[in-house]
Amino acid sequence: MSAETTGMDQRRTAILAEIPRLRRYARALVRDRDSADDLVQDCLERALSRMDNWTSGENPRRWLFTIMHHLFVDQARRTKRRAEVVMMALEGSEAMSVPADQAESVASREIMDALQAISPDRRAALVIVGVEGFSYAEAATMLGIPAGTLMSRVARGREELRGLLDDMGRRRAIRVVER
Amino acid sequence: MTRRDFSERDIHLALDGELPDEDRSDFEAWLESTPEMKARSLRFEADRLRLRAAFAGVLEERVPDRLAMRTAGETSSPIARALRWRFAAAAALFLALGAGGGYIAGIRGVGLEALAEDELAEEAIAAHTIYAAEQRHAVEVGADDKDHLLAWLSKRVGVTLIAPDLQAEGFHLVGGRLLPAGQKTAGLLLYEDAKGNRISIYVTAEGEEKAKGIYQLETGGASAVYWLDEGWGCAVVGTLPQDQLLDVGKKAYRQLLAGAGMV
Repeated sequence: MSAETTGMDQRRTAILAEIPRLRRYARALVRDRDSADDLVQDCLERALSRMDNWTSGENPRRWLFTIMHHLFVDQARRTKRRAEVVMMALEGSEAMSVPADQAESVASREIMDALQAISPDRRAALVIVGVEGFSYAEAATMLGIPAGTLMSRVARGREELRGLLDDMGRRRAIRVVER
Repeated sequence: MTRRDFSERDIHLALDGELPDEDRSDFEAWLESTPEMKARSLRFEADRLRLRAAFAGVLEERVPDRLAMRTAGETSSPIARALRWRFAAAAALFLALGAGGGYIAGIRGVGLEALAEDELAEEAIAAHTIYAAEQRHAVEVGADDKDHLLAWLSKRVGVTLIAPDLQAEGFHLVGGRLLPAGQKTAGLLLYEDAKGNRISIYVTAEGEEKAKGIYQLETGGASAVYWLDEGWGCAVVGTLPQDQLLDVGKKAYRQLLAGAGMV
């Protein structure tokens, strides 16, 4: 086996090890499980086709997250445009119900829904720092924005999330008692 | 050494591990001296824990074959992929419509329903907060003139109102008063226990739906146990522990219903 092939295999192994983390980030970004995995798959495909761009020694996680984030931003733009077309195609169909994942608790579902309701930019910043645990400097580099912008997105995202959760909590509190 | 000024911004920095070490103890001291900011900080921390918990399970899931195989150098069927994408796009759209639509409906339609409950509970809590704190002017008509009080309130509110007997729960009637409730009127009956704890029973002929629940303002304070039953709204308000309030509330409500001939 040549040294080159071995290096390739090591890289594949390193990428494989990051899949669970990528899936988590994707799930937080787009909520729906299959769409999230599609995003991860796009990310992996792009990563594999550009392995030469991955300089040895560079943290594979950061590299992959950066790729996936760019794909997410592109997709968010595309989905916005696509929405009208899909809506027409589905009129009158029975595709209205999206089954909730049985395994999700009410509390989890609520915060996942709230997260989807905040803007994609703030959502990404909040998740990459708050869930994935990257530093501001790392996150700013990955998202391609200045650190100050990142910070304000994290802060606003948190504030927005809090407001949404309060609204949901209030609505839930209203319907809990029996006679 | 001068202590720098802190702001809400520092709460985020601290939470994200971005606050310089040398500022840490001053920041902690600032938090302790600013209860509002301390509460904010705890809240953000709690939300973050909840967020992490919600997605923690993803790390334990088995990686779908299509992802693992792709990385190992195999490809998945482009047709299956295209179909899945179309479904996912549709699903995402409906989620978006659900969320966005729900949000708008929350202000317009759905919200109006919820608002009736909110309003009943909030008005009842507001009335309680104002009048239960009054020592000399808590009620317009005292318990010593109970028959007159009930006849008057029944007539003005438009329901047959009785004063529930809550002796077993330790509460006796102090008296009552008439209040505005939207375009209509509400009757308030104030009760007190031996320790001076007060609860109020708020009754109105308003409300166009059936609903029941416990309601507490975000700011804390008194809670309301309430019932709405098509043209009949009742809230029992107090600062008792919620279990106890619920218990007293149910007993009062059953008697009110019986008294009004609604059972």
